[in-house]
Amino acid sequence: MNELETKIRAEAERLLSEGLVDVVIAFRQEDAPLHPQPAFFTQVEELESLTYNGMCANNLANYLTRYPQETRIGMVVRGCENRSVNALIVEKQHTRENLVLIGIPCEGILDWRRIVALTGENVLSVEEKDDSVIVHTRENTFELLRIELLHPSCQRCLHPNPLSADILLGDPKPEGDPHLMRLRIEALENLSLEERNAWFRHEAERCIRCYACREACPMCYCTECFVDHTEPRWTESGVTPAGMQAWHIIRAFHQTGRCTSCGACERACPMDIQMTYLTDKLNLDMADTYQFEVGMDAETQPPFATLTLDDKNRFIAQGK
Amino acid sequence: MSAPPIKIALFQCRWCLYSPEDQAWVDNDLPENIHLVKVPCTGRIDPLFILNAVQGGADGVMISGCLPEKCHFKEGNLAARRQLAEFGSFLDYIGYEQARVRFVWLDLQDRGRIQQELTAFETTLETLGPAQALATRASAPMGGADE
Repeated sequence: MNELETKIRAEAERLLSEGLVDVVIAFRQEDAPLHPQPAFFTQVEELESLTYNGMCANNLANYLTRYPQETRIGMVVRGCENRSVNALIVEKQHTRENLVLIGIPCEGILDWRRIVALTGENVLSVEEKDDSVIVHTRENTFELLRIELLHPSCQRCLHPNPLSADILLGDPKPEGDPHLMRLRIEALENLSLEERNAWFRHEAERCIRCYACREACPMCYCTECFVDHTEPRWTESGVTPAGMQAWHIIRAFHQTGRCTSCGACERACPMDIQMTYLTDKLNLDMADTYQFEVGMDAETQPPFATLTLDDKNRFIAQGK
Repeated sequence: MSAPPIKIALFQCRWCLYSPEDQAWVDNDLPENIHLVKVPCTGRIDPLFILNAVQGGADGVMISGCLPEKCHFKEGNLAARRQLAEFGSFLDYIGYEQARVRFVWLDLQDRGRIQQELTAFETTLETLGPAQALATRASAPMGGADE
């Protein structure tokens, strides 16, 4: 057990025993060492299984919308989760007064797929020591570099520190480099139209329409998603090229000015489809055009929820 | 052998054509390759509508609305401009030519301009050829009230 875990557990115990919150949302270690699961603690005794390490891949803000506004929630938040919580508060999905955010400056989430690719599937335990990650498998022990195992979204992370946490555990980490995300999107933008289309088709065609990306995303909380509508049927619902493309286009577009680039969608995808190249592009556009960054505070409305006459210069076809 | 005709979906805000002759032409005399979708305001147009038109076989989508300060509902077109402009460039990002989605904002003195715009748009689309970037969906029953 690491020191941070002890601190989180103590904090969660205090919140629950003093009756400050009804539930604490955090992670729990279950049988699979690579996959700690989101857990919902309501009793102090349950906290024994609380865990926190680099393998915790979910965005916990996802579970905020599953509780009524009156529920007082204690939640373990990293940088991205804090921004998601802010964005959800802007969209009035919970009240800030009923939230206690236990902030953790994040060192980045380890990509379990990379670990499995390097060590094989029989992983028994994963240990994190400073800059290295020690993986014990049934056959062998591997010492890997942490930086090589980081999930791509975490490599590009801008704000690893929680911005509005009530309690901050651990030392703040340095802010990320904004150029990393931009470089990737610009590289794609500089491709020709056909190459961009080929890239998009290649990613979209592997989709099996399981909607794991939707379920993992804190901002996808609609009770009825556009793909589930039957009357009218907005998109083909089967695993057809048109249906898969429509899903990827509109799912990403609905995230415009709302996505915090946490990468939970990519980590949830069973087909290893890249999706953040779509949402990051939209986020960059919002930053460039409207100087808007998602979740930096709990007040600013996203660009599509505000409108002004001053957008005039962005007319596409000007009247004569 | 001639190429198949270029298909255009026209989303028209019902307030944007000030002259009754223009509206009558759009309502009754549109060429067969132009499919009209009349909306109460451009603000009603969801990006999904555009995508549906594109995947439904349209080679281009034209949206005609009122000038920003002249929206019948005060600011519906402002919301539309933000969303749809971004959607247009987003489609371009994934390989669907931005020129295939065209926005026209009409003004009081623009009598007859809708015809010119449609002709110009058709010429543009003819040079681009049929749209192939996105997959075509199976045909769905046509929406909207029968008139």
